[in-house]
Amino acid sequence: MNNQTKSQFVAVASITSELSAVMVVAKEISLAAANAKAIAFRAGDKAKGFQPITDFINELAKETIDLVTDINVYALLLYRLTVNEYRRTGAYNRFEIATKLAEGALYGASMQAPLENARARMQDCQRQFKRDVAHLLSQLEAVMHHARAARVIAANSRIEASQAGEYLQSLQAVAESVDKAAHTIHDNVQRCRVALSIYRSN
Amino acid sequence: MKMTKIYEGSHQWIMFGRDQNKPANIIDSNQYVVRTTNRCLLMDPGGSELFAPMMAAVLHHAPVEQITDLFASHQDPDVISSLGLWDQALTNAKLHAPAIWEGFLRHFGCDSIEYVPIPDHGGSIKLDSLELELIPAHYLHSSGNFHVYDPQAKILMSGDVGAALEPIDSPVFVDDFDSHIDKMRYFHQRWMPSNQAKRAWIERVRKLDIDILAPQHGRMFKGDDVKRFLDWFDGLQVGIAV
Repeated sequence: MNNQTKSQFVAVASITSELSAVMVVAKEISLAAANAKAIAFRAGDKAKGFQPITDFINELAKETIDLVTDINVYALLLYRLTVNEYRRTGAYNRFEIATKLAEGALYGASMQAPLENARARMQDCQRQFKRDVAHLLSQLEAVMHHARAARVIAANSRIEASQAGEYLQSLQAVAESVDKAAHTIHDNVQRCRVALSIYRSN
Repeated sequence: MKMTKIYEGSHQWIMFGRDQNKPANIIDSNQYVVRTTNRCLLMDPGGSELFAPMMAAVLHHAPVEQITDLFASHQDPDVISSLGLWDQALTNAKLHAPAIWEGFLRHFGCDSIEYVPIPDHGGSIKLDSLELELIPAHYLHSSGNFHVYDPQAKILMSGDVGAALEPIDSPVFVDDFDSHIDKMRYFHQRWMPSNQAKRAWIERVRKLDIDILAPQHGRMFKGDDVKRFLDWFDGLQVGIAV
């Protein structure tokens, strides 16, 4: 296995790992939203501005979970494609060697068709991989978008929390946890994008 | 890759092996080919490291499209880990292999090749007008194991039975049976697990008319050395690791 193939396997495997962390964090946001909703309810008028924000947070978390679930399925397909590409590239390389070794053999020329087919299958796989990487990157961009939105909501939450009197601390804690979660999602997804982006341009 | 024609009649048997360019740390293996008018059978075609030299060697005898049949005596990697590569090279081929190993062998990659499962009691492979018999050799050493007998050529391809661990430049036929014993004793005692299975196989094989016994490693036995081998094997205690 050459270095590029190794790093391709590592890149695809690391996406699944990074995304499972994102999934945990998104679920935490969802919990934080439920918690915030309960606090806002108790706070009544003092947290009037906070109440619609909790719905936003919850919706955002749910959408992120759905997106990550889709991406995970896609990442698995990408992994299978990587395995396929590895096998096909390996076959093509062996067929090339066989063709060279068979120079002068009575039926050496009959190796041309399998060699050409192997090349075509390998190139198909490589093209498909690039297409799938581009698609995955756009899905990851959507998650990043959600993370950025979550940070804006966290900032708004802090402002609204400051109006909530004795509930200030509880609601600020909610805002902090959303902000922290958004940071984590952003960083993890960014790592996925960096790992994959080299395969889009290659 | 050394090629030795061991039978020439209405069809041919060719032995391939002693590949000087193989990686040093993998075991040397013998591959056998039966060539009929329009078809070609590869027996225990070897590990993936061997695919390219093996394919190139076969192309001296048959075009790719006439490599129609593969046979795997059992599931070991030195026997058939090249399957995934043959699978991508051959467009119309069958793999004859023990039924019990199907789910395992498919891990090597077997999408376009048709897997023809050999039932425990054996079967046959038809190549043009030639019919080869698949002789059960279970537990010698694999739990699902077959050998190939050609009644016309009087050759028994015997998988790991008769195998010896030898240098890469050793001759292809046993020339002095007594001195050959040391090269095969440990292999048979350690790799073969069952005296009962060994006796059943010897009883079955003694009924066959064999001129050449062709194992997957080491040297082939011909003429009186075939009987010498069966007698020696009969008296050998196997399964020594327990």
